[in-house]
Amino acid sequence: MLADYAPLVVLLAFAVGLGVIVMGLAHFIGPRSPSPVKDQTYESGMTAIGGAQRRVPVRYYLIATLFILFDIEVIYLYPWAADFRNLVAKQGFGALGGMAVFLGILLVGYVYVWREGALEWD
Amino acid sequence: MTKQTDVVAAPAPADVVAAVHKQLGERVTVDDGGALVVGPSNLIDVVRALRDDHGLDYLANLTAVDWLDRFEVVYHLCSSAGGAPIVLKTTTDRANPRVPSLFGIYPGADFQEREVYDMFGIRFAGHPNLKRILMWEGFAGWPLRKDWREAYFEQEHKPLTSRWPDGQFFFGEDKLTDWGSNTKLPPAYTGAEIGRPKPQEGQYVVDIDALRRGTSFGSDRLVVNMGPQHPSTHGVFQMRLVLDGETVVDLEPVMGYMHRNHEKIGERNLWLGNMPFTDRLDYIAQLGSEWGYALCVERMMGLEVPERAEYIRVIMAELNRIQSHFWSIGFLLNDLGAFFTPSLYAIEEREIVLDLFEMATGSRLMCNYMRFGGVAYDLPDAFMPLVNVLVNERMERAIDEIDAYLTNNEIVMERMKGVGVLTPELAIAYSTSGPVLRGSGVAYDVRRADPYGIYDRFDWNVVTANEGDVYARYAVRIGEMRESLKILRQALPQMPAGEILGGKKAWQVRVPAGEHYARVENPRGELGYYCVSDGKANPYRYHVRSPCFVNLTSLAEMCKGYKVADVVAILGSIDIVLGEVDR
Amino acid sequence: MDAIELGIVALKCLVIVAVLLTGFAYTTFLERKVIARMQQRLGPNRAGPFGLLQPAADGVKLIFKENITPVGVDRFVYFLAPIVSMVVAIMAFAVMPVADPITVTIGGQVREIRFQLADFNVALLYVLGITSLAVYGLVLAGWASNNKFALIGGLRSAAQMVSYELAMGVALVSVVLVVGSLSMNDIVDWQVAKGLPLIVLQPVAFGIYAITAIAETNRAPFDFPEAEQELVAGYHTEYTGMRFALFFMAEYINMITVSGLAATLFLGGHHLPFVERFTGNLPWFVDIGVFLAKVILALFLFIWIRATIPRLRYDRLMAFGWKVLLPISLANLALTAVVIAFLAR
Repeated sequence: MLADYAPLVVLLAFAVGLGVIVMGLAHFIGPRSPSPVKDQTYESGMTAIGGAQRRVPVRYYLIATLFILFDIEVIYLYPWAADFRNLVAKQGFGALGGMAVFLGILLVGYVYVWREGALEWD
Repeated sequence: MTKQTDVVAAPAPADVVAAVHKQLGERVTVDDGGALVVGPSNLIDVVRALRDDHGLDYLANLTAVDWLDRFEVVYHLCSSAGGAPIVLKTTTDRANPRVPSLFGIYPGADFQEREVYDMFGIRFAGHPNLKRILMWEGFAGWPLRKDWREAYFEQEHKPLTSRWPDGQFFFGEDKLTDWGSNTKLPPAYTGAEIGRPKPQEGQYVVDIDALRRGTSFGSDRLVVNMGPQHPSTHGVFQMRLVLDGETVVDLEPVMGYMHRNHEKIGERNLWLGNMPFTDRLDYIAQLGSEWGYALCVERMMGLEVPERAEYIRVIMAELNRIQSHFWSIGFLLNDLGAFFTPSLYAIEEREIVLDLFEMATGSRLMCNYMRFGGVAYDLPDAFMPLVNVLVNERMERAIDEIDAYLTNNEIVMERMKGVGVLTPELAIAYSTSGPVLRGSGVAYDVRRADPYGIYDRFDWNVVTANEGDVYARYAVRIGEMRESLKILRQALPQMPAGEILGGKKAWQVRVPAGEHYARVENPRGELGYYCVSDGKANPYRYHVRSPCFVNLTSLAEMCKGYKVADVVAILGSIDIVLGEVDR
Repeated sequence: MDAIELGIVALKCLVIVAVLLTGFAYTTFLERKVIARMQQRLGPNRAGPFGLLQPAADGVKLIFKENITPVGVDRFVYFLAPIVSMVVAIMAFAVMPVADPITVTIGGQVREIRFQLADFNVALLYVLGITSLAVYGLVLAGWASNNKFALIGGLRSAAQMVSYELAMGVALVSVVLVVGSLSMNDIVDWQVAKGLPLIVLQPVAFGIYAITAIAETNRAPFDFPEAEQELVAGYHTEYTGMRFALFFMAEYINMITVSGLAATLFLGGHHLPFVERFTGNLPWFVDIGVFLAKVILALFLFIWIRATIPRLRYDRLMAFGWKVLLPISLANLALTAVVIAFLAR
């Protein structure tokens, strides 16, 4: 069972190897002549005013949180969907009803989030 | 969407001057040239009266002249309903030049007053942000004063001690200051505040301290420089943005990277020698720039232009307008993120027009075609058949095609509608012109408002749109291309034979002493030339009222509250050409 | 797993990496040529016949470029980000079946060789999981670069990718509902068995998948993370030479992967579901050709869209993802479930 995943490890090794080789190649072959001005961060040719690593608007975090909430629920849909025919055979419309309740809860949350304006970008 | 309006004729400037003189009594005098002269102390009152009581709501031009014993600040005011501008002058002494700022009355005076301060050192009391605009902060000298000698040409005074100290080439950037060590600085200037302007009370410059304050969520604001080295600033133009997330809180345009002191060089050149030089202003609409200058000098000289030359000028100028609008629409779409496809299709049409220019003038961009009293060369025989095919067949289809693909495109509409809205009142107050002003619903077109050439002979309309957003400006451009075609269709069959250059043949033009402000409707707006002659071989004062430069005054107002992506679209809709902005 | 099997796996990995790299190189070439034609230009035509060596020339140029590491970057994360991007892009391709298995005799043993690195019962979930890791490379690059354009680009990409991933996830649930399996081979076999590509049964899911796939790969008109007109080069503004090339590589390999996924899930994979009713099962090399043709068709669509459509505005894009695509995909899911429940009963 787990052996099915073994080829992935080999591919991972290949991919990481490729990345490191490419970066290394560029590192050793590419010329280098650093200068203080050249090494400044790019800001359209001007000296940057203030650094970039600062606190960002909470909007982005909100989207991330919403995503985690909804995505975890979507994950639950997959096993249900893969086994749906069996469930219907066993439980009839109960299979549908169970998921309808689950999705209903999800939907209530979704409507709440929409109404609260969390999906607006301003 | 767009509508066509006729402009009501306004009272002649002479009547306005007389009426003002009557109303304000001894506070104003009238000089020989018919200009109102007012002392600096009365300036604000007089201008307010002119605006409120006499309908002169549009500050067309603001500049200054150095008369060696005094500075004369010249204002050209006109009505947005049309009519020739009236001239208002005020003088100030050279030792401590100070004039009250008109910023409170005409916000459009903002950049123009900063330019005059930058070039002459005249301080405008009450201006909220009086600092250099074309030269860099810290530059020593006032380049347009008559006693300032041009570096490397007049050699008496150099702003730069040397371009290559130690006789060796080096990169100025490596000095890690904003300009390196090869600049002569004012005595008290330390340069400590470079890149971090300290805002004073009431200034609208980027407020660094506000960054720390942030918003209610405690996120930090970002100050981002867009430009000069940025893909969508149409050249070396800089916008300093204060962002809250992606929303623009404040914006300050910074320009002058391509400044070459065009006006000073123009004052060194001979009158005719300036003609090719005007091509370098707005290189997308080169023939319009030439026409404006030719018009100004012709009126000063009292020259008559022969019929055929007038027709050639109209044909060239309208072809010019079409190709320029093609260009700007194409690149507006580029700014919206369309990957070059619309612009390359637009450029294809433009290239055909440029081929015609090459045929007639010998050059595609730097045409040097107009002369005082006519044009330099007659049209070649092959020109007329080609231009007829172009005007009657090809162009119409090309415009229809662009119209069909872009105008009702959903993404294009969503990106352009309701973005960068400028109300008609603000558009007039900010002295905007061209498609920006007409996109705000003001039917102001110099060809109609203050007719020149033979535009009064043709049947055409001033295209306006009421929304004042990016989409309206786009729609105005599309409409104007069609109107230009309409003018061309009338002009081409009427074209008479005959002379192309009037006036006496002379090696050197003699321009009688005097002054004039002539303006033409260039694709980007009102292009004005203010020339002063003292009878010598070169202009005493040569000023270009650049539509792009003045239109940029309204940029900050248009952008606040919108997103970063909208800033790019708004800038694209103003359609600046840096050669003209920075001069 | 014996040594021969390990050898085969290693060979497959080598082939996947090599094919993806070549595919990346020639996708860029295809893009430049096709867009050039759409814009009445010629496109690259100097290096080799028809400019075919252009990608090689680009690669050599990038290797010999100077690598600039700006001051103030978080060095470890800065170097890690492009590798993460590229590794994730390559990994996603592992479960893609490109042809029917063949049997060969190696060393006296009869072995079945599958044209697929790994197939397991949750392959679809694996692809979704791996592609959602792609956002790390972008965010890390944006954050580590100490550059405002990169930062905004990184943040945008994070928010955009997670938003569209949601709609994509829900849309693909409908596919799973119809087929009843998460295995790639099962999905392909189902389509062959029924003689219908899933695009016919699930057009809405396909539409949503197509839109979200473009958003997931940050391609026009959803190329906000690197919106040139606003953010210069977005999250990879501070990357030069081969470091930049790794991001570029990741973008194009992701394009190939989502195209392959579209082919597998909706277009019958390496089979021609309707045609094979009459011709019978096609040999493995034709399978590869079929798969390739479908992928190239999808890539062409990517390129066509880029050459045609202007960019949406970012806030509208987010609203579109959350308020339009997500409800539609949920409704599609509900409808599919009800229909299947009725049919299955």
